[in-house]
Amino acid sequence: MKFTKQAGALSLTAAAALVIVACGGSSSGSASTINGSGSTFAAPIYQQWGATTKTDDSLTVNYQGVGSGQGISELTSGTVDFAGSDPPMTDEELAAASKKSAPLHFPTALGAITISYNVSGVATGLKLDGATLAQIFLGKVSTWNDPAIAAQNPGVTLPSNPITVVHRSDSSGTTKGFTGYLTAVDPNWSSEVGKGKTVKWPTGTGAKGNDGVAAAVKQTPNSVGYVEQAYALQNKFTVASVKNAAGSYVEPTLASTTAAGQGTTVPADLRFTISNPSDPAAYPITSQTFVVAYTDACKAGFTEQVAKGIKTFLTYGLGAGQDALAQLNYAKLPADINSKATAQLSKLVCNGKAL
Amino acid sequence: MSTGILPPISARRRRTDRLMSGLFYAATGIALVPLLLIIGYLIKEGASQFSAAFFTTDPTGNFAGDIGGIRSAVLGTIEMVAIATLISVPIGIAVAIWLVEYGKRSKPAAIIRYLIDVMTGVPSVVFGLFIYVSLVETGIGGSGFAAWKGSVAISLLMLPIVARSSEVVLDLVPNGLRESALALGAPRWRVIATVVLPTALPGLITGSLLAVARGAGETAPLLFTVQAAMGINFNLSERMNSLPLEIFNDVQSSNPAVVTRAWGAALTLVLLVLAITLLARIVAGRSRLKP
Amino acid sequence: MLERSPMARLPDQALRWILTALSFGILLLLVYFFGKLSLESVDVFQHQGILSFAFSNDWNPSQSQFGGLALLFGSVATALIALVIGVPIAVATAVFIVELCPSRLRSPLTILVELLAAVPSVVYGLWGVFFLIPRLRPFEQWAADTFSFLPWVGGPVAGPSYFIAGLILAIMIIPVVSAISREVISTVPTDHKEAALALGATRWEMIRTAILPYSRSGISGAAMLGLGRALGETIAVTLVIGNAAVIGHQIFDQGYSLAAVIANEFGEASAVPLYSSALFACGLLLFIVTLVVNGLARYIVSLGDIERRVERARRSERKSAAAPGGAA
Repeated sequence: MKFTKQAGALSLTAAAALVIVACGGSSSGSASTINGSGSTFAAPIYQQWGATTKTDDSLTVNYQGVGSGQGISELTSGTVDFAGSDPPMTDEELAAASKKSAPLHFPTALGAITISYNVSGVATGLKLDGATLAQIFLGKVSTWNDPAIAAQNPGVTLPSNPITVVHRSDSSGTTKGFTGYLTAVDPNWSSEVGKGKTVKWPTGTGAKGNDGVAAAVKQTPNSVGYVEQAYALQNKFTVASVKNAAGSYVEPTLASTTAAGQGTTVPADLRFTISNPSDPAAYPITSQTFVVAYTDACKAGFTEQVAKGIKTFLTYGLGAGQDALAQLNYAKLPADINSKATAQLSKLVCNGKAL
Repeated sequence: MSTGILPPISARRRRTDRLMSGLFYAATGIALVPLLLIIGYLIKEGASQFSAAFFTTDPTGNFAGDIGGIRSAVLGTIEMVAIATLISVPIGIAVAIWLVEYGKRSKPAAIIRYLIDVMTGVPSVVFGLFIYVSLVETGIGGSGFAAWKGSVAISLLMLPIVARSSEVVLDLVPNGLRESALALGAPRWRVIATVVLPTALPGLITGSLLAVARGAGETAPLLFTVQAAMGINFNLSERMNSLPLEIFNDVQSSNPAVVTRAWGAALTLVLLVLAITLLARIVAGRSRLKP
Repeated sequence: MLERSPMARLPDQALRWILTALSFGILLLLVYFFGKLSLESVDVFQHQGILSFAFSNDWNPSQSQFGGLALLFGSVATALIALVIGVPIAVATAVFIVELCPSRLRSPLTILVELLAAVPSVVYGLWGVFFLIPRLRPFEQWAADTFSFLPWVGGPVAGPSYFIAGLILAIMIIPVVSAISREVISTVPTDHKEAALALGATRWEMIRTAILPYSRSGISGAAMLGLGRALGETIAVTLVIGNAAVIGHQIFDQGYSLAAVIANEFGEASAVPLYSSALFACGLLLFIVTLVVNGLARYIVSLGDIERRVERARRSERKSAAAPGGAA
């Protein structure tokens, strides 16, 4: 029986240690918490904003990146307080969610989709235009020294190796953004592949998540893939300059990404999609992301605290939060879109009452 | 006068014997190489993370500044697995008792044994799906994602392991012990409670610990039933962080520091599970019951 | 005789009732489980047809096409690769531990092999992605080029593939198969082994003629359990199989598996009822496969039991024939 005594003593000590460690954490009494899920693209943004609101406003924000689609469905079924989504909700999704209360779209940031490549001998500055990109991802341009690529890059020695295309294997708003761009620049793309969060890629290997594509491009010589800007900048990838609608080859910088938002037609309900922007300084493959929340959170079944929390979160995000974006390698909203979004904040109510 | 009864072993046969022995040695070595490689890799990538701060601060969500440690993940895993253990161990042992004491070789018992084996083989993701559609979507308990639902999913994984190993151990208790107790007039329940269970106790603990090791390491069920919260949260009906989720999320980040944290978390999880498994082995060694 | 009042028998009956209820609860749970999965799958079966779902090769959710043959193929292919690689190693390890290794190494080696089971599957997957895939790629490319005359070998090596998934699954099933094989091998009667040795067999010949045939059905049962585990593994496979819903022609191609598709696509699918129904159908298919594989395993093992029972019966027959005949 000495054994059971030893075991008992050990478990008591372990439990005590646990309690001490756990109690070391602060748990504020009257702090509020809001839960969100959705876009993996925007997850670092909302988590960073949440870190600030926790200290400044005692507002805890829990956000899990599970994909834009799942975020929207969770918002509709009421399991989260707000959703993060890169593409705006479709009319069907809107109708389904409006049963509880009309959802509002708040754009929060812009991000570019970079064309990251790993080609021996080509350090930086590869230039590609939309048509060539489409041909590469269709598998029709299959070697690096193809004339279509060489013509845009005079003076660069391109190897004759075959191009290994890397695309996403999982469902993703990034894929939708990229295929949306390809649809705009190549007339055959929509009939051959189409646009969407998952498509049947005619060529190439699939990798899971942005990190998967990034790792694959890094590890595979002579490969090219589409990777979110944050990953490319953070890990210092070699990225291509892409020709925009105005005719200039633009690198995916934070400034050129914000420029892409300028001049986009924004409807009254703010459900816009950037597509092949016209601004001369714009990087053409740019995507937006939204926070979607109910106009009347209380009517939709949430508490007043949650409604207030969402408003506090968004007020910060559209205000000082925009300055934090650069540190995370995301682009700010252009001024006119930001003011429209900020104006929409006053629409958030609880059971009809202003917050 | 012959030196032996049997003809000497030919050189060819001796060579084959040595070759095959060599192969067996090699195979065992090959089986162990991945273990060393994995632990080595985890130590290389993650050991640098180990510090007091790593275990006493929560992930902050700050990508630019201090990214924080993994405290809430460790505590969350411990809490959810503890609840799952409280659910699956009593039920698992109860089922094992029934199988050994009452069911024995009957047809229903055979069916239940088969089903328990099936439960061990069902992919964890299917359990996650099942719990999602029965508990999360329906919003039972007032909320969608909740830690206790994650615990239920984990307990489904642990239950068959506890039941199977407990059955094996209870079966090993010599019938003589039972019969002597019964002969002395003890009622069945008393025999089970005071003779069978205490004798089998080390084996039961071993089985439960192995189940805990499995439960602590599973990610798939958690993806469908719990979503992570970064801070510490002891409220079971809300979101809770956990090591597998933390690893899964962090490794996908664009921030290299966060990815490194994922490796530190992975090393922590592996060490935790290894410790539990070794403990289970030590307890098994103390068992008086040998097959 | 000791008598007990009816009241005293109550705890016994209560205990029996509770235990029986819990045990049959398992039966009910699994029936409910099966039922729920089937219910959720009805939508896609009505849309696609059950046979078409399982046996047509066109997984294209954005066009509402749910032919899952590529998924089934991937699950089976990776599991088979895992068996081909893992079972021989596991059985060899078991033989080594029981027969060949010095007795003081037996315990530590057993623990080490079992520790393979302690590594969480997400860690296996990540190790596969970050360590194994880049390290093995040159070797895989060499093998693909040199052995391209073999069926299923050849082609470009992208990284994630059936092969890598199968390899990692092989590592994951080694502890299970080895543990059961070890148990089976250690029950080989010593007389069998000593008889072989007495007849002048070398160690290996003894293993080949006395141990392996005797343990055949038990080891097959162990292999079947390994198969079950390999078919069901999710996270590790998702990270290393490449997630391409096509039927690959080479082992170094990318593929997909039933479990991986659920883990990967459930997020997006939950917004589309038909899509999520398709994923539930994948889960249902996996569940049915598990039922079948486990049933097979039991059957194969029971064959071994019969063999042993027959043998024991024969031996006791011989003994009883010898004894009274010999006794005065």
